[in-house]
Amino acid sequence: MSDAYEGTTEDTTAGTRGLADDTVVRRIGELATGLFAMAVLGFLGWILVTQVDYGLLVSVFDRFVEAFGLVLFIVIVSSVLSVSLGTLMGLARISASPLTSRIAKGYVEFFRGTPLLFQLFVIFLGIPRAWPYGAFPVEDWRVPAAVLGLTLNHIAYVAEATRGGVNAVGDGQLEAARSLGMSRVQAMRKVVLPQAWRNALPAIGNDQIILVKDTSLLTVIAVPELLSVFRNINSNQFDPWTPLVWVCLFYLAMTVSLSLIVSLLERRADWEIDDDQGAWLGRLLGSFSSLGGRR
Amino acid sequence: MTASERSAQRRAGDHALVEFEGVEKYFGDVHVLKDVDLEVDRQEVAVVIGPSGSGKSTLLRCVNRLEEIQGGEVRLDGESVSAPDADINRLRQRVGMVFQSFNLFPHMTALENITIGPREVRGVPADEARERAQQLIREVGLDGQADSHPTELSGGQQQRVAIARALAMDPDVMLFDEVTSALDPELVGEVLDVMRDLADGGMTMLVVTHEMGFAREVGDSITLMADGRVVENTPADSFFDQPSTERGREFLSRLL
Repeated sequence: MSDAYEGTTEDTTAGTRGLADDTVVRRIGELATGLFAMAVLGFLGWILVTQVDYGLLVSVFDRFVEAFGLVLFIVIVSSVLSVSLGTLMGLARISASPLTSRIAKGYVEFFRGTPLLFQLFVIFLGIPRAWPYGAFPVEDWRVPAAVLGLTLNHIAYVAEATRGGVNAVGDGQLEAARSLGMSRVQAMRKVVLPQAWRNALPAIGNDQIILVKDTSLLTVIAVPELLSVFRNINSNQFDPWTPLVWVCLFYLAMTVSLSLIVSLLERRADWEIDDDQGAWLGRLLGSFSSLGGRR
Repeated sequence: MTASERSAQRRAGDHALVEFEGVEKYFGDVHVLKDVDLEVDRQEVAVVIGPSGSGKSTLLRCVNRLEEIQGGEVRLDGESVSAPDADINRLRQRVGMVFQSFNLFPHMTALENITIGPREVRGVPADEARERAQQLIREVGLDGQADSHPTELSGGQQQRVAIARALAMDPDVMLFDEVTSALDPELVGEVLDVMRDLADGGMTMLVVTHEMGFAREVGDSITLMADGRVVENTPADSFFDQPSTERGREFLSRLL
């Protein structure tokens, strides 16, 4: 860092003074973050040594794996549905038709403006109760309700990310495409959306990571997810720390992999980076890769 | 000329390629084009000059209806561009547009920028479009840059790709909207050279520019605009030698 500055700061006293300030700030930052990391790691180490019952840890593993399988299924289905339908909702939001865009705006305001917990109760308890044709036909409504709730909620966020991504593409791009004689739909499909997709990806990825963590709320509609397994174990064994270790690791397994997928997609959507990293993922996700820019 | 005479003339095919007739344009309350009449003949290089804010670019953008007008009519080859029921996607294929800020598609290579129009709009087969694009790339002097992305090209190179992109649709008329204004001074020449070649090849061109040397050398006619009006419309030579209006003399004297 100091090397980089030496060439640019001339011999003025102001320059030297600025350099000294930068070094001081940097050292303070290193000290603060270093102390913080030591405190956190120390606490974790202490917990792992004094609080975790390793016999119990091994014996409850299977129960967490079972819950993890269900959560993963719910996440994958909700994620695919919310990203694809959310993109469409985002396009509806910026539609030239005032009717379409107002309906989409109303949707976003409602599902972004009320708690997910409320939406889950409406779907899980409200819909079977209001069913007009006799008994509610779905025997086990928990998982379908969970998927429906997560999907409807996250469509709103993906729609907003998509809208932002499209708005960030300059007007000149649409004008250039239309000037060639392309219809509005052609111009959107070939010129605006591939760029909007790159712009929107970080925000969509961020939202999907929140979707993963939102599955922890499903415990209130009796879905046997990771935190409900934790609660069962804790209430029987009076041991919070042992099951919490698995909760943490299984959630991180999902969110960290998702982060990785998103950064590969970002890399692939970025036409300024010329490599094939992430190409396999694009092929895997077929329809997404066609939005990925390079052909 | 009366309206009936004019429409009779149009039926006979004896009309200019681009015609403005009594064009009025407002941005909100601002009256930016005031009763503009202008004709561009086939193979003519019509240069529009004037102080900034005089409506030059807006005038140009009316030809392919990037701007809607509130009065009068704009016609391409006798067909109204400004009528509500105009088939604008078809008409735009006949009008090539080059922008001040290039507006190349950043996610495509130079070659893809040039082939996208013919492929998407005309359904030209990929091989054929690529072959034509390669030829255009040579014509604008960008051999070997076909696979570069716009960010890898200089401003002058990008603008030449943009010209090739517009030419790929085989337009009847090319519009140039201050295409050298965003370029570093040393890159202006290479773009003007391409435009000069086009003019020599007989392309009809409507050019908004601040490059007076180019206007004088390549332009057939000069249209001077001020405050949304056409104040002078004369052959290029006579304009630079002897402007016929006070505004023209004033404008030239400020340049010298």
